[in-house]
Amino acid sequence: MKTGIKIALSVAMLASLSFGGEQFAMSAADRAMYAEMSENNPADIMVADGEELLGYMGGDEGLAKYLGVSEDDLPTYIAGFPRYIKKFGMVVGLDQVIQAMMADGGNKPLKLKSGNMFSLLAYVKSIANGEKINIDINANPQMKAAYALGEKTFMTRRGGRGLSCNSCHSSDVVGRVLRTQKLPDLGAKGAKSAATWPAYRMTKSSLRTMQRRFQGCMKNALLKVLPIGSKQMVALEVYLTAKSKGSEISIPGLKR
Amino acid sequence: MKRTIMMSLLVGASLFATDYAKVITHPDVSKMIQKDLLAPPKVYMMPTGCITNDPDAIARGKYIFNNLNGKKAKKTPPKGLSRKTKNGKPKQYGNCVACHNIEGAKGAGNIGPNLSHYKKNFIDSGARTDAFVYQKIADARIDNPTTHMTINLTTKLFTPREVCDIASYIVSPK
Ligand code: HEC
Ligand code: HEC
Repeated sequence: MKTGIKIALSVAMLASLSFGGEQFAMSAADRAMYAEMSENNPADIMVADGEELLGYMGGDEGLAKYLGVSEDDLPTYIAGFPRYIKKFGMVVGLDQVIQAMMADGGNKPLKLKSGNMFSLLAYVKSIANGEKINIDINANPQMKAAYALGEKTFMTRRGGRGLSCNSCHSSDVVGRVLRTQKLPDLGAKGAKSAATWPAYRMTKSSLRTMQRRFQGCMKNALLKVLPIGSKQMVALEVYLTAKSKGSEISIPGLKR
Repeated sequence: MKRTIMMSLLVGASLFATDYAKVITHPDVSKMIQKDLLAPPKVYMMPTGCITNDPDAIARGKYIFNNLNGKKAKKTPPKGLSRKTKNGKPKQYGNCVACHNIEGAKGAGNIGPNLSHYKKNFIDSGARTDAFVYQKIADARIDNPTTHMTINLTTKLFTPREVCDIASYIVSPK
């Protein structure tokens, strides 16, 4: 990232921490900065990397063919992930589709947690920009099961402090403040979260995927960190994506 | 990534049907979750001598209340409190301030009730007892089964003495 952006970012961050009565309202200057960043999201570069990488695997056309849909239908199809794919025998995220595609091309798949995979995932999901999330959790028994497992995983209290995702993201605490951070809305229907990941995280100066974000919360709250791509993590993504059904996809997102 | 490596992704299609269960990363981590589960709610007896005016105990309680762990804490821990556990890992503190405001708190949250003036408003008024505070910190589910609060003794995050230190701080005159 350009140093200029970095400096601008840290100034924005500092300013956003200084609050008075209106604790969390952004100042006009901060808001302008944020608006500028959203016009020129630093993660656009990573998304472009992802596009280049997919290019070596046949690009959008190759992906559409691999998924068995027309290039025209690709965006709508992508807006329905995670989904059950019969050929794979499991509910998968887009990153796992990319792994399978790499293997079918005779190559060793990239690790799900690798930076290049994050870029690929961000690009592929961005193909669906402007589409509304259309995940269908009743499409088949596998999706139903994934949703149920996701809900269970979200509600399960565990770890050193006995917290669950729901402790901080249930509808009754949304908008309250956890150590200066406003709790985002995930639990309620109509939440937008899933439509905004992968996103650029300003505090981490990097592109993060939704499952990577889950890991951040797990680590902070002392829950054992589940690996990306695990049945339970995909299920969590199914559960939260269903909450965002109907929201317009806009990748890369921009987060604190 | 090196262009040449990515280029190689194009070449060569596999001759055999792919075993997707092997090439897609998709572990089942139910055992990992099972081992990490929170034990059922537990009732605790407040130990004798638990609530104290000992300034060191109150200082430890205050420190635990306001800090996340031994790695992140800025000031030196007060007497009798370490930054690390016996096996060298950063010691976890309470980070109660994430959810509760209290006298002198910096950047407090408001998920839980404001604990300022607790002695005057809750103890002296008879609304709460020391034992209630002890149980609340030890295992908040006894008072409220669907609580969003952290569980601190049933999880063995703290020792009974540490819970007493925190409780002593909360009910102390400030
Ligand atoms: C102790 C509180 C706490 C727990 C437990 C917790 N979170 Fe969070 N979560 C937060 C806070 C606070 C934020 C916003 C932080 C910020 O603004 O940087 C957040 C942000 C998120 C976001 C990003 C929302 C967005 O789109 O901007 C997701 C997704 C998320 N959490 C999922 C989870 C999941 C899944 C779990 C359980 C595995 C979980 N969280 C557990 C406090 C928590
Ligand atoms: C993730 C949020 C969260 C954290 C962290 C947290 N609490 Fe709480 N606390 C709550 C909520 C919510 C309530 C009110 C609901 C309830 O009573 O369960 C509460 C209630 C309380 C009460 C009862 C107040 C009264 O008299 O009704 C006390 C005392 C308390 N907390 C102390 C602590 C201490 C000490 C810590 C740290 C060791 C702590 N809390 C950490 C959320 C939290």
